[in-house]
Amino acid sequence: MAFSSLSFRQQPTFDPVSKGKAIFIYNFTRYFEWPEKMKSGNFIIHVIGSNANINQELNKMAAIKQVGNQKLEIKSSNTIDINLKPHIIYILNDASDQLKEVALKFKGKGALIVTEKNGLARAGAAINFVAIDNKQKFEYNKSNAVSAGLKTSDELKNLAIAVD
Amino acid sequence: MINISKSYHCVKSGFCCLLVFLCLYGKSQTNLLMEAQELCNTKQFDKAIPMLDKVVANPETKNDPASWHIRSYAYLQSFKQSTGNITTKIKLLDVSVKSAEYSILLDKENTYKDNNTAFIKNAATSYYKLCIVLLQDSLDDKKSDTCYFKYKKYTFLLYPEFNFKEKDIEYYKAKGSTFADLYVKNNFNQKYGDVAKGALLKVLELDPKNIAANINLGILYYNQGATLMRMMDYDVDLSQLDVIQENAKKLFKQSLPFMIKVYELDPKNKKALESLQGSYSALMDEEKANEFKQKKEALTEQK
Repeated sequence: MAFSSLSFRQQPTFDPVSKGKAIFIYNFTRYFEWPEKMKSGNFIIHVIGSNANINQELNKMAAIKQVGNQKLEIKSSNTIDINLKPHIIYILNDASDQLKEVALKFKGKGALIVTEKNGLARAGAAINFVAIDNKQKFEYNKSNAVSAGLKTSDELKNLAIAVD
Repeated sequence: MINISKSYHCVKSGFCCLLVFLCLYGKSQTNLLMEAQELCNTKQFDKAIPMLDKVVANPETKNDPASWHIRSYAYLQSFKQSTGNITTKIKLLDVSVKSAEYSILLDKENTYKDNNTAFIKNAATSYYKLCIVLLQDSLDDKKSDTCYFKYKKYTFLLYPEFNFKEKDIEYYKAKGSTFADLYVKNNFNQKYGDVAKGALLKVLELDPKNIAANINLGILYYNQGATLMRMMDYDVDLSQLDVIQENAKKLFKQSLPFMIKVYELDPKNKKALESLQGSYSALMDEEKANEFKQKKEALTEQK
């Protein structure tokens, strides 16, 4: 009679970074006010680029959370879908080069642009995820949020790395 | 594992001779002891035990090494026959081994020494078997530890030079991996994770280069950090998120030295490469995460 030793693995279907980003995105909905005409229908998060973990987390979130009375809806594609009326446009790292076009097309239309590549808060994004000291933080460019057509809260500035 | 079965069988067959001796010696013994011996002879240990309990409490027979010796034998056999629960079995074994110890203490002429030694050897082996069952079937780490310590105590009593290092490594490694597995299977229950962590750290105290303990401990720390993140509700506020991220970061960082150790010992260990990629990725160090991802892929291509 002898002991048997088992071996186990890291949690295979869970990405802590993506979970952190999903929580940030959900929190952002509390700090901005969208135009009146966007307060009905689904609350759309348009994800541009590819990252299976992010999509999984956002969809999990959408299944159980709402923004006020609005249901969350995640729309993912590799390029911008101009037929959508998104509340948040999340441009993933691999689609960062689309920021300029997205910012131009959605100027004043009430879409919060979120990115995740260094320097993009100064290139059109209102929110840009950055890793500082091994933790997820975000840069906030209030001017870009205002020109996107959103009403902003000063409270968010205290929680962010302000870039304007 | 100490092999005691051979000596034990010799003792078992010699036990009848002992009973004959005791019968001859019986005039000065109480009738109760004689009766108990008879019952043992016919394998009615359950009936003999209450009598033997009285015998060892009786002033006339309590200082007789034979009384304790027979009691040890009766309890050991009853333990073997028992189909009761494991707690009951442990109690029977405890009484057997303590009776044998006390018999040795009283037995100035070493009349029963060989038999008592064999009983203790047998009990030590039984404690070891029980600790395996308690750990891997009952998942009772506390009782398992108790049995393991008793196994060590009685083995040391018989073999003071015995080196327990390999046994300790084997035991704590099994305990660590069993509870790490339970941790995952029980929705990352912290209680199981802590038991696993304690056991694996003990393995590394004894054997710092142990690959399995290092990798399991590294993964355990990673999983504990990931669990903190996973358990968070999506509407947790940003200040709270920062605190939880900080705690998770500490755990991810704690996972690294163990995984790096495995990588240093075995650069082709796929699990170490995979785990390092995961931990660096959780720490948002993409450069390092990619480095290990590429190493893992290169290894796969080689194969």
